[in-house]
Amino acid sequence: MMVKTLKLPEMITEEKLKDLYKEMWLIRYFDEKVDQFFAKGMIHGTTHLCVGQEASAAGSIAVIGRKDKIVSTHRGHGHCISKEGDINKMMAELFGRETGYCKGKGGSMHIADVEKGNLGANGIVGGGLPLAVGAALTSKMKKEDYVVLCFFGDGASNEGSFHESVNLAAIWDLPVIFICENNQYGMSGPVKEMTRVENIADRASSYGIPGKVVDGLDMIEIMNSVHEAVEHARDGKGPTLIEMKTYRWKGHSKSDAKKYRTREEEKEWREKDGIKRFKETLIEASILTEETAKQLQDQAYEEIEEAVKFAENSPEPSLDSLLEDVYA
Amino acid sequence: MTTRQITYLEAVREAMSLEMRENNDVFILGEDIGVYGGAFGVTRGMIEEFGPERVRNTPISEAAIAGAAIGSALTGMRPILELQFSDFITIAMDQMVNQAAKTRYMFGGKGKVPMVLRTPAGSGTGAAAQHSQSLEAWMAHIPGLKVVQPSTAYDVKGLLKAAIDDDNPVIFYEHKLLYRTTDDVPEESYKIELGKADIKREGTDVTIVATAIMVHKALEAASELEKEGISVEVVDPRTIVPLDKETIINSVKKTGRLIVVHEAVQRGGFGGEIVSVVAESEAFDYLDAPIKRLGGKAVPIPYNPTLEKAAIPQVPDIIEAVRETVKNK
Amino acid sequence: MAKEIFMPKLSSTMAVGTLLQWFKEEGETVEIGEPLFEIMTDKINIEVEAYDQGVLLKKYFDVDAEVPVNQIIGYIGQAGDKVPDSSPGMTGEEGTTEEKEEATVSEQQELIPTASHTQEGEKPRATPAARRIARTNNLELVFIDGSGPYGRVHKKDVIAHLEAKTSIPKATPLARKIAQTEKVELSSVTGSGVNGKIVKDDVVSAAVPKEAVALQEPATKRRKMSGMRKVIADRMAQSAYTAPHVTLTSEVEMTKVKELRAALLPVIEKQTGFRVSFTDILVKAVGAALVRHPQVNVSIDGDEIVQHSEINIGLAVSVQDGLMVPVIKDVVSKGLAELTIDAKDVGKRARENKLLPDQMRGSTFTVSNLGMYAVDAFTPIINQPESAILGVGRIQDKPVAINGMLEIRPMMTLSLSFDHRALDGAPAAAFLTELKQILENPFELLV
Repeated sequence: MMVKTLKLPEMITEEKLKDLYKEMWLIRYFDEKVDQFFAKGMIHGTTHLCVGQEASAAGSIAVIGRKDKIVSTHRGHGHCISKEGDINKMMAELFGRETGYCKGKGGSMHIADVEKGNLGANGIVGGGLPLAVGAALTSKMKKEDYVVLCFFGDGASNEGSFHESVNLAAIWDLPVIFICENNQYGMSGPVKEMTRVENIADRASSYGIPGKVVDGLDMIEIMNSVHEAVEHARDGKGPTLIEMKTYRWKGHSKSDAKKYRTREEEKEWREKDGIKRFKETLIEASILTEETAKQLQDQAYEEIEEAVKFAENSPEPSLDSLLEDVYA
Repeated sequence: MTTRQITYLEAVREAMSLEMRENNDVFILGEDIGVYGGAFGVTRGMIEEFGPERVRNTPISEAAIAGAAIGSALTGMRPILELQFSDFITIAMDQMVNQAAKTRYMFGGKGKVPMVLRTPAGSGTGAAAQHSQSLEAWMAHIPGLKVVQPSTAYDVKGLLKAAIDDDNPVIFYEHKLLYRTTDDVPEESYKIELGKADIKREGTDVTIVATAIMVHKALEAASELEKEGISVEVVDPRTIVPLDKETIINSVKKTGRLIVVHEAVQRGGFGGEIVSVVAESEAFDYLDAPIKRLGGKAVPIPYNPTLEKAAIPQVPDIIEAVRETVKNK
Repeated sequence: MAKEIFMPKLSSTMAVGTLLQWFKEEGETVEIGEPLFEIMTDKINIEVEAYDQGVLLKKYFDVDAEVPVNQIIGYIGQAGDKVPDSSPGMTGEEGTTEEKEEATVSEQQELIPTASHTQEGEKPRATPAARRIARTNNLELVFIDGSGPYGRVHKKDVIAHLEAKTSIPKATPLARKIAQTEKVELSSVTGSGVNGKIVKDDVVSAAVPKEAVALQEPATKRRKMSGMRKVIADRMAQSAYTAPHVTLTSEVEMTKVKELRAALLPVIEKQTGFRVSFTDILVKAVGAALVRHPQVNVSIDGDEIVQHSEINIGLAVSVQDGLMVPVIKDVVSKGLAELTIDAKDVGKRARENKLLPDQMRGSTFTVSNLGMYAVDAFTPIINQPESAILGVGRIQDKPVAINGMLEIRPMMTLSLSFDHRALDGAPAAAFLTELKQILENPFELLV
């Protein structure tokens, strides 16, 4: 059913909007759960949570198709869930289990789902940008007509690979959309201190491509902006740089005292919560009621609980697997 | 099989061209590889045949082009990346080491990166410290990468075909001074399996394991030493990852003596690995003289031609090492 | 329960033994009587056989270790039997802490090789290939001269050693032919060809008269003492410097001994297959004399004089690069035929390095016969812990005055060295006089 009251890309149906609402809760609950398990010492290693940033993942990926691809970041659980990721496999991976996405060998930072077009999270800041360019090159050379959403953070925009990659994609008119999730801090470094330009998107002009600043907590604006960039790319006109202003509620990774920012600032951003705003929009558009919204939220919670059970009941990888999969 | 004499450089080009004619997924990208024909002229004429789509001239962005090669490989292409000088791998290092080499393992066995990074290495051209290094041991250290060091035009053609066919990232080191050397090379396509050493000369008194240009220096030394009644076996591993341990071990079992020669700086060089492989193997019990390593001096490659030659092993050094090793024959 | 393997005491003077090799690895089965390990004592190299059967459970010492007598060096038992991690000390005793410390000390000592070809305190330098070939041929690297830097033993050195051992020198056919016509002993020629093969030039230069060689090559050659040489050196010096030697000589007319031997030769040969020798008769006579002069059949032990009840005669036997003194036990109770068998047996075994432990220990008096050489008399050095030794010179026809007439008789000089700490001139002289009388009237032996 077409959405009449909201101006949205054609493929965004009412059902899709409801799904997206639930999906945002899946992302939030997933990372909240992970946070809890880390605190309890049930998961080891490290992880980067995207609580508060659900909209940029859900909204961006909502407007691409199954054959399209994404390249994610170290803060990538949301991207994976939105790209039809299997939360059971994700949770199992965080538990280091054989049933995980990477058979327990990748962990939080390397979750990938190549079949579904998720070319992987990345432990290297800026590491994914060149890969996205390469994937877009394949699309162009093999005329596969897919686009690549390349997520990265404000921190990565100061890496050489960002500049090299945006330039390369630009000169070859590659179908890649560079999405900078500007969550205000590269670990502890405030973007205002680390970057002289007002907006990361302003840098697009240096490479001769369109740049756009978007409210990263506004699902509607996100969907429309990314859709426009995707159409641009599919038309063979090359990449777009979209900056989404957002905020991570949690620290950079575990054991972050967040001394580099104030609690007041955190409170301000929490009030702008993307999920809450999306719910209000959908209720206003008569797509959701408080009741149905609650049902979707509860369903999301249930699914995460199921994922936890799945992970907990999954076997540890065998020692034999240690030496497997180094070479194809 | 029709063979004729072609250069090492032509063998590289021919191997690529044959593959590109066969397989549309194979393409080449790199700096100045278009009408310029590449810094050493390897791709000369290729853009005319295959067009700018498949002979992709890139900006000077080693990280991005390495990553683009990886990303395209991960999504179904079989790219050949020409890195203008092997020294520049420092800039592409993150992509090769943290992305290409690890992707499949990190993803739990999903995805593959069938790409070749071809790059000229070695000294002898007066290009000084930043354009003359032999950094193959770095790459050999990384699980997930394969490392090839051909020494002859024949080997180049067969090994490059194998590298392109391989589903893993392969670093293919070409030696600048070997580009002009010639060899009998079949016209048609053929493959030399990665991980198969070649005994370039048979002998009984001492085994020299040499790589790249050192294969030729070792062969020259062997001819000299033959006049003294010393019989030298020269083993060319051809690929250091995977390494043909068996051929090396068997050779040392036969001769009882081992000298390893490479151009790369001796300290931490791959020669140490070869020596260890032998020392840990059953060949240990056949060793009848201390093992010797000959490698580059621990200095950046200097500009002055005399100094440049002195920085790496030369034929007289190899002869001296052999004499010393077989003294108690 | 696991059975101890210990360092056996194979001679009266043996305090430590050097492990030369193990014939079994841990885990291998061992039969009773199977050679288990080889040791070098102060006298010989000897294979020690297993006293028990089962599995070799543990070896506490490696080759070259010097191990005190009775120290437990391993265990034989059934697989799974518990054995200590380190040698628990001496056999037949409860392992106490003290003994464990002792064991540790001896383990440290094992680092000191008895090697003659290696600097003291150093392990032999050898290439892995040399080690492998030495190992497979049961050769001790310490006995092999290394041609490499710092005496490093190479494969070729081991092979050369092996070939020398088999004593068939490698030589080219031409070299053999020249050696034959020039009467050059090939085994004395150093080969300069591949693997020490003797070539024509080697034989030709070896055929040059010795004087000429000396003029050409004034350089002296040095070689390290072999293990046995070193033991002999130590023991001779020990005896010469601790025992005040006095040597008495006496001429003996051998006419009747010669007659006796001539008469007994066919008898004994028929009975034993061996020819009775003058030495055999001497041993019998010495036994008889010792019975009558027990004060000569003694040993000094600390401040006590030990009077031996048995009369066991040691026979000095010349072997390659040394000397051995195998023992004929209880000579008094044995007839000449039996003594002949014994003497031939120990002599052969000594030369072949196959003496049994029992044939190596317990002698109370030694006979050293140099009569096959142009030696009349000499001053033998006592084979400690004995107190006397008899040196035997050649039998030579000499003019002697018999009843105022000059006659030609077969004469032999006996030289008796005695330890003046243990006995004095008079009793020694009385013993020698007794012996002379027995020999001049050997039918006494039948009495």
